[in-house]
Amino acid sequence: MAATASEGPFSRALPWLVPLALIILWQVSSSLGWLPPNILPAPTAVLEAAWTKLQDGSLIDNLGVSFARAMSGLIIGGAIGFSLGLLNGLSKTGEMLLDPTLQMIRNIPHLALIPLVIIWFGIGESARLFLVALGVFFPIYLNTLHGVRNVDPQLIEMGRIYGMNNRTLFLKVILPGALPSIFVGLRFALGVMWLTLIVAETIAANSGIGHMAMAAREFMQTDIVVLSIVIYAILGKLADSATRALERKFLAWNPAYAKV
Amino acid sequence: MSSQPTGGSRVSLKDVKKAFGSNVVLQGIDLEIPAGQFVSIVGKSGCGKSTLLRLMIGLDSVTSGALDAPALKEQAARIVFQEPRLLPWASVKDNVAVGLGEGQSGQAADKQAAEILEEVGLKGREGLWPSQLSGGMRQRVALARALVSQPTLLALDEPLGALDALTRIDMQALLEGVWQDLGFTALMVTHDVGEAVALGDRVILIDHGQVVLDLPVDLPRPRKRGTPEFAALEGQILDKLFGDDPRAREAH
Repeated sequence: MAATASEGPFSRALPWLVPLALIILWQVSSSLGWLPPNILPAPTAVLEAAWTKLQDGSLIDNLGVSFARAMSGLIIGGAIGFSLGLLNGLSKTGEMLLDPTLQMIRNIPHLALIPLVIIWFGIGESARLFLVALGVFFPIYLNTLHGVRNVDPQLIEMGRIYGMNNRTLFLKVILPGALPSIFVGLRFALGVMWLTLIVAETIAANSGIGHMAMAAREFMQTDIVVLSIVIYAILGKLADSATRALERKFLAWNPAYAKV
Repeated sequence: MSSQPTGGSRVSLKDVKKAFGSNVVLQGIDLEIPAGQFVSIVGKSGCGKSTLLRLMIGLDSVTSGALDAPALKEQAARIVFQEPRLLPWASVKDNVAVGLGEGQSGQAADKQAAEILEEVGLKGREGLWPSQLSGGMRQRVALARALVSQPTLLALDEPLGALDALTRIDMQALLEGVWQDLGFTALMVTHDVGEAVALGDRVILIDHGQVVLDLPVDLPRPRKRGTPEFAALEGQILDKLFGDDPRAREAH
């Protein structure tokens, strides 16, 4: 009977119960005056701020700017990480030449480079792009390398016996075999991407959600600060859901990813 | 039956030796295997039986001596391993299509794949993932993949070794039926003497890198285990394997 219970409306509502209860508690506390608005504004105040910002267009503008930054950084850093991961996974020479250096750099927290990056690029767009790209590079690189290296050698031998050339072997055996690991890297990278963007936009930017929050702080507009935090949470959740959807599509063969 | 007979091809070995460095694995191997024969190869672990199999289908080369197998020149030799080695991310049909080689796709390929899947009893399962199949069914897909290109020589390296006892009996019957339908030459390595007698036209016993017994099995098919003739042949092979040590025989 457990199977029928897991499909019922009750269990579908289950994940929403705790967040809903927290919001109600928060609203009640604000309404009763336990929570002063300059510490934490009521959820209704945050909604109101969202409505105002939506109407004057600044929310959409800032959201667009932040989203574009995140995606450009992800694409640049991800593409480089993916390519180097494949290269070093497939070629022993490549790995010996590059991997020790990359492993060394990996141990530097990329946010520690902020002072240097500001000196190099100023506080312009390229500085933020550089930081995001650097941040997403490593999870994607490491997991692609790991994935390629861990493809079952028996399957590779099978492919060779059946006369697959290098290209077919790569497309039909190595890449699909490495894909679960690459997706793990992508999900890590998305987390790093938002974190880096928040820090970069908070420190130096004249647009974007992080900037919106910092500008609001100067005028003690806690409702807009909280709104910015909520938006980051929603963006992070959306990115994670998108990856899950991709996993379900591309890893449907794997019982661990099959739709539950 | 859905698939047309493909026929078999002969294999002959003359004074074949195989060594890895200074380690001699096989020597003085003389064998004539006529087209279409089912040969069972038995022996203890590490006796060189799998190496012999790999030599005969061209996965390794001989150190000295002569190996003549027309199937190798025609690229008509295939192998089934103990593990099915299916691509987990490819459907049953696509896994079978791997056996057709480079650039083979489209309707003709689909038809060939469908025919061979029917032959191994997997009709209607073309679209499933390997993870949705039982161990026996996965091995059937591996067999279909090996057979779809119509090989004349099929090597089976302990093909049923990883299956449970009941599935093994089922699969032995399937293997015999497919071999009778298609007529390829079958070379099967097994550690199960009963299986070797049940399926082989001939049982070859390898010990310390040499053929120590080459026993024809002249029983009508499908063979019944437990008949006196069957037991006598099994006994003959076990005697040769373990000498007169009764405890070792009992353990087997």
